[in-house]
Amino acid sequence: MSRLNPFAKLPGLNTASVLLVESEEHFQQSLAEALVEETSVTVNVRLAKSFPLPIENDESRPRIDLVVFIINLTSELSFQSAEASLKYLEPGYFLGKVCFMVTNARSSSVPAERLDAVRRLAASLHCPLLFAEEQTPEGVTNAAERLLTILKAAAGFVPFTTPLYLSNLTRCTLPPDIDQPSFD
Amino acid sequence: MDSSGEDINGMVEKDDAPKGPSGQKETSTADMLRIKQQMSNQCFEMEVYLNAGKNRRSCSTSEAERDYSDHISELERVKTLQFNQTLALHRMQMWHAMGEKIKTNDPEADALKVVNQRCMALCCRIKQIQQETRLLQDEITELQKKRLEMKRLTHEKMKEMEDLMSRKEHPDTEKYKAALEKGQTNLEKYKKMSIMAQNVLRGLLLACKINWLDDPKLRDVAMTLEEFPITD
Repeated sequence: MSRLNPFAKLPGLNTASVLLVESEEHFQQSLAEALVEETSVTVNVRLAKSFPLPIENDESRPRIDLVVFIINLTSELSFQSAEASLKYLEPGYFLGKVCFMVTNARSSSVPAERLDAVRRLAASLHCPLLFAEEQTPEGVTNAAERLLTILKAAAGFVPFTTPLYLSNLTRCTLPPDIDQPSFD
Repeated sequence: MDSSGEDINGMVEKDDAPKGPSGQKETSTADMLRIKQQMSNQCFEMEVYLNAGKNRRSCSTSEAERDYSDHISELERVKTLQFNQTLALHRMQMWHAMGEKIKTNDPEADALKVVNQRCMALCCRIKQIQQETRLLQDEITELQKKRLEMKRLTHEKMKEMEDLMSRKEHPDTEKYKAALEKGQTNLEKYKKMSIMAQNVLRGLLLACKINWLDDPKLRDVAMTLEEFPITD
């Protein structure tokens, strides 16, 4: 099976490419539109539903600097699809070029175990975990801003910082009482 | 569920973005430097990745975690050091540039001199005020010490007073009590004696039918007999 390789292609000049993976294809579009508003660098946004990516696009696809898995906490399928897609990425991506973004964390219908499971996954892969609010335009703009910070570091635009170093500062950590029942 | 992948149309790009060498706008020197920095960053990353497999050794995960955190702290330490040194270097460069500028005699240098004078005046004022603050602070500390001392003395005096008061009652009441008791027992004894004598006298007067009304001395004595109640 073909895996996505971070270093297989040459990087683009003054360009950063990000791949948004979301199985519902709901938040991707608005987030993408917010991301391309950035003027100082050219941001290429590719959207995908899940891995593996179709081979036809292999040639035209640029080098992906950051892969963002968008997980909707209200659906179990979203989490499972993201987990299944992880094996299609080369290990080189997990040194700071993968990020998890979670939506609907405040919804009351979300079981606490799912958030814990996402946390454990992000912590075991040493990746940052962002929480986003997709219903309002401000929420989308905020999420795009935070994502851009990570993207700029991943694409090499921040001097003296590599994505590995940044991921070490921003990685998700597990609270020590994660195995104890919550107070609900 | 089929594993669908990338949508051909799933690409969002800004329409007026510079797309390539054909539609590129003029890149300034700053942009060029930025792009160069970006490329050097990317090359560094690739180098790291290539060299990653070279120093391989097998060790447990916990050992790896420990080494990892050690390396990270070392890295942070070195980065902070480098950052501070760069700041110091920039400061020195700034001062040098300012010094050079002031030596020339342009209007800009004059403006700089005026700002400098103002800074110096403000610094003197700051020093003055700091000295005054220090003096006032010392005075306050002195007053507080005095107050504390006063409080301590008052406390001691109160304790002494309490002590004295409780002590004084005791010996007095003891002696007083003893004397009181002795007096009382004496009083009882004499009372009984006098009552007995009176009873005897009353009995005598009644039995012998002595006429006490006529004799004044006898009358006085008989009258006093009424004062004490008849007890056993």
